[in-house]
Amino acid sequence: MIVLKSSDGETFEIEEAVALQSQTIAHMVEDDCVENGIPLANVTGEILAKIIEYCKKHVEGGGGSEEELKIWDKEFIENIDQSTLFNLILAANYLNIKTLLDLTCQRVADMIS
Amino acid sequence: MGSGFSLFHNDSSCYTNRDLLNRGLGDLPESCVALIVENLDPVEICRFSKLNRAFHGASWADFVWESKLPSDYRLILEKILGGFPEKLRKRDIYTFLSRVNSFDEGTKKAWVDKRTSDLCLCISAKGLSITGIDDRRYWSHIPTDDSRFSSVAYVQQIWWFEVDGEIDFPFPAGTYSVFFRLQLGKPDKRFGWKVCNTEQVHGWDIKPVRFQLWTEDGQHSSSQCMLTEPGNWSHYHAGDFVVGKSKRSSTKIKFSMTQIDCTHTKGGLCLDSVVVYPSSCKDRLRRN
Repeated sequence: MIVLKSSDGETFEIEEAVALQSQTIAHMVEDDCVENGIPLANVTGEILAKIIEYCKKHVEGGGGSEEELKIWDKEFIENIDQSTLFNLILAANYLNIKTLLDLTCQRVADMIS
Repeated sequence: MGSGFSLFHNDSSCYTNRDLLNRGLGDLPESCVALIVENLDPVEICRFSKLNRAFHGASWADFVWESKLPSDYRLILEKILGGFPEKLRKRDIYTFLSRVNSFDEGTKKAWVDKRTSDLCLCISAKGLSITGIDDRRYWSHIPTDDSRFSSVAYVQQIWWFEVDGEIDFPFPAGTYSVFFRLQLGKPDKRFGWKVCNTEQVHGWDIKPVRFQLWTEDGQHSSSQCMLTEPGNWSHYHAGDFVVGKSKRSSTKIKFSMTQIDCTHTKGGLCLDSVVVYPSSCKDRLRRN
């Protein structure tokens, strides 16, 4: 299990497989600096919770069909407000979670076009 | 359409030192903005580049335009320019390609559709092999604004009507349609007004004309149709061809339009050009 600490002091304990979807975290695990949990000074608890929700669903392809995952993604992204969306982009960029970054950026592109 | 975003104008200091709540579009770093604009079409990217510095910077990102440029754009540039301009940024290359560029001594024009990045090509009558073109009894060249090339070929009367053409071009993978742009009638001016003189139009209602298309890799299509609607420019479909994603960089196609039944003469036809468009445009072009 890996412990993540948000900027506002919340802690989240998640399975390694879920956390490893973030390339940033994966590198930290490789470099073996995760002893006392990973502090994420750039991400608030609220946003981190959303990210963990996404990553849990996407562990190993989501456990369902590709279509089901797409539908889940669509609902996930459509139910968040602008501010959360931008914060998610920044967090996904920092944590280097490519699929989440693509999803959020595509959403913004759809909204502004 | 564009929903109202509130932009929070903050300085560009590291966001770890600032309140992380209440983010706006203006707070995103250029790298994130570039990922957003990559999902827009080129016209929108240029429009949004005026939004703020991050969007402006992102709108010049090479990787964004790399994804919009047609595949083999290097070869296309070499074909049009005769060389590749190394110093141009990808956005400049896209801008250049989306203009109508002439090549082969002005007999051909090529451009990339601004929105869809599809390649389009146009070959003037002067770039085609027309049987009897040098015989003033049959064919002449008429200068006119009706043509992109400022001139069309006009046949007043002939028995053996044959127009052949070929082009060797690095078409990006996809399906393309070839059309002949024709008009029954001669462009003319009367009292300063542009008119179409259909007095010499004859013989096209007796037998159909035949269109054929061949590619180097063995595709072939053949069709027949009657030429109709005097007085209007129309695109007559000559055939479709497919360019696969193979190693070959350049595709050679040949096409022809013939009416060689020598029991009757035909004439009064204006030939402007042959156009090659992506097949997605086919329905728009039919008879327009």
